[in-house]
Amino acid sequence: MKLLISFTFYISALVLQAAPDGAQLFTTNCAACHMPDQKVVGPSLVEIRTLYNGKPKDFVKWCVAPQKKRADAIEMPSMVHVGEEGLLAIYAHIMKASEGLSEKVQNQKGDPFVTSPVQMNRPQVQRIFMPDAGPAAIAIALDNDSSLCWDAGECRLRYAWIGGFIDGFPYWKGNGSELAKVIGTVKYVESESPFGEMGEKKFLGYRMENGLPLLRYQIGGRDVTESFTAEAGGKGFKRKFAMGKPPTEGMEMRFPSDQSVSYASDKGTWSGSLLKLTASDAEAFTITISYK
Amino acid sequence: MKTLILSFIAGLSVVSAQEWTEHFSFEKIPNPVGIDPQVGAMDVLADGRIAVAFHRGEVMFYDPSSSSWSLFASGLQEPLGMLVDKDGSILVMQRAELTRIKDTDGDGTADEYITVFDDFGMTGNYHEFSYGPVRDKEGNLYIVLGIASNGAPMAKEIRGEFTEIGKANREEMTSRENWKVNRGKAGRMYSRTPWRGWVLKISPDGKKMEPFASGFRSPNGIGFDAKGRLLITDNQGDWRPTSPLYDVKQGGFYGHPASLVWGKDWDGRDPLDIDAAELDKMQVPAAGFFPQGELANSPTWPVVIPDGVMPKAFAGQTLIGEMNQPTLVRVLDDEVDGIFQAGLIPMFDGAALGIGNNRIVFGKDGSMYVGKTRLSWAGESGIMKIKWKGEEFPALEKMKAVPGGFELGFTQKIDPKTLSTIKVECNTYKYHKAYGSPKVDVRVMEVKAAQLSADGRTLKLDLGGLVKGYLHGIDMSGLRSADGKGLNGKKVWYHVVKVPE
Repeated sequence: MKLLISFTFYISALVLQAAPDGAQLFTTNCAACHMPDQKVVGPSLVEIRTLYNGKPKDFVKWCVAPQKKRADAIEMPSMVHVGEEGLLAIYAHIMKASEGLSEKVQNQKGDPFVTSPVQMNRPQVQRIFMPDAGPAAIAIALDNDSSLCWDAGECRLRYAWIGGFIDGFPYWKGNGSELAKVIGTVKYVESESPFGEMGEKKFLGYRMENGLPLLRYQIGGRDVTESFTAEAGGKGFKRKFAMGKPPTEGMEMRFPSDQSVSYASDKGTWSGSLLKLTASDAEAFTITISYK
Repeated sequence: MKTLILSFIAGLSVVSAQEWTEHFSFEKIPNPVGIDPQVGAMDVLADGRIAVAFHRGEVMFYDPSSSSWSLFASGLQEPLGMLVDKDGSILVMQRAELTRIKDTDGDGTADEYITVFDDFGMTGNYHEFSYGPVRDKEGNLYIVLGIASNGAPMAKEIRGEFTEIGKANREEMTSRENWKVNRGKAGRMYSRTPWRGWVLKISPDGKKMEPFASGFRSPNGIGFDAKGRLLITDNQGDWRPTSPLYDVKQGGFYGHPASLVWGKDWDGRDPLDIDAAELDKMQVPAAGFFPQGELANSPTWPVVIPDGVMPKAFAGQTLIGEMNQPTLVRVLDDEVDGIFQAGLIPMFDGAALGIGNNRIVFGKDGSMYVGKTRLSWAGESGIMKIKWKGEEFPALEKMKAVPGGFELGFTQKIDPKTLSTIKVECNTYKYHKAYGSPKVDVRVMEVKAAQLSADGRTLKLDLGGLVKGYLHGIDMSGLRSADGKGLNGKKVWYHVVKVPE
């Protein structure tokens, strides 16, 4: 028995001398990103086999100087430190380990959690990377029809749409390198804050009231709250503002004049899309934006 | 020939799953229905429920007594850290801000989402993850901000200031169409907006912020250890030869240069133009290194092991998660002339733990819960509940650098006949802008003497001296306890920052 053991060791030692251990090198350098039968960060061993079977030199060449090849994957770091001999051992290991395997079929297309009770809930608030907004965006579903994108970085509404909420799967399926998609049709866009230049803006958070956020922020040291409710049937939305200590001379809110909407309010006087408010008007006022 | 044979056996160092499953139970808890169960953050409520934040922004409570879930909050973006406060409110770090979520009307769900701190930049790049908060004894909060990856450009709209320091200008940094060309100029990882790559210290009320330390890359782990050290883990990559563990002090620079541009007295140079040797002099050396592929490829959150959930010898030690290998990592504290340096040893390696071990909490039920994630990388999802069966087992309890070598303390008596199986190697790494580093200058160290104490539990290894700046790996897979058992955790790696005299 003892003899047999030392014989085994002797053989192993010879093997070790002859070539580096491909399996060990694979574990150290490759296994974190390459699974046997499915794509994780990089392609599966099955796919690598398809690409490089019988082409060890091409394999080594790629590993030494990899490039960005796939739109949906990151570029592999160079494996030059492993050395040609080591890379050939890894190659041999991959070919052996992938023999007879086939790529695992992804059993679902699209978002497996699309029916999540939390995500389906309306109204809904979801912070996520959104198109045409800053990176601190908040998506808000007012009801089944009306949604909007509010930017916590700039403390302002960016746009509103009808027809649904968001598809967050492009973001959620990975690490956030893709933006969420708007489901429906954008009906209203603001390119700047209706408050204009009233000083530095600071986001303070929000309070949930009946499932909808009461957004809180400061403009030039003044406390502002802003909240939204949908006009039923995707016809538009109401927007309620409250301001602590408005300017004593009153103020103006400038809304975009190039949108297919009509504006109305419970306070102040309109001149086109400009709303003039007295100081007491500005303490609390509601604007209705109706889609044409 | 003999050395070759020996090193081959060492290379095998068969991990025995059984040694862990004999002493711990591993059980996946049920996932909440309909929720993507990738775990970004965890903590424990006063009533013993486990608070969990998921990838899509839900914060849910798991009640171990009924194995049921309830929804507390939703809509957060990529929460990666959480702290349950005394008043029951929860601080959550999401991509854009540190938020306090609070149930003010007592209906069991959060109604206030208060922005505690958001005064840092975002380029919209996916790799700008935000981690924390952890709290010091004075109540200050610490967060740490990951830097962007040239796997993607910046978004057109960013939050915060943009620095012109860098080879690519703003237009080049934001052009998706030309990114293939421009990305080479961006730096593999970049910090073009404030405080990316920094630890920020925030006053208890969130009103004051102090830039605390720089040099971080992808620091998916921050926590205070039992002795009050602020520990941060980071991931192998550019300027990260292998994943490091840092003992973070105010004003320190921790190796990744991209963040240097935001320093108060920065001279305006592009960090990518600075010689590695100069940066090397500036950086604080890692307190520990996780050798890539052998111990950990992507270490995560450090937590302190409380009393009563593991053998007594482990209480107060730090435990760290790991994404890519089926293991956790236990930290063996040491200090030489006031410098913290640590031995790192696997825990639960080869057992039923699995990979993706992102967050760890200890429940009030004596179990530990390991939350898993993957995002786009190797990993898993869901939560593993692990419970100690209450029996002691042989393991390395402590490790100390001493003149000439190491002193190792074991939980049980070691069989002196097995001492000759110990093998020691050391190596250093290359600090450079390339991704990772191979082991450099691997040296097999001769064990000149291995002396066991009278009680059989303390082993002094004379290696003829330790090597400064080298990671020392001690293979104990051949060691046996006096009653013939192998060790739980068979190889330890100790980074010698300072050689004791």
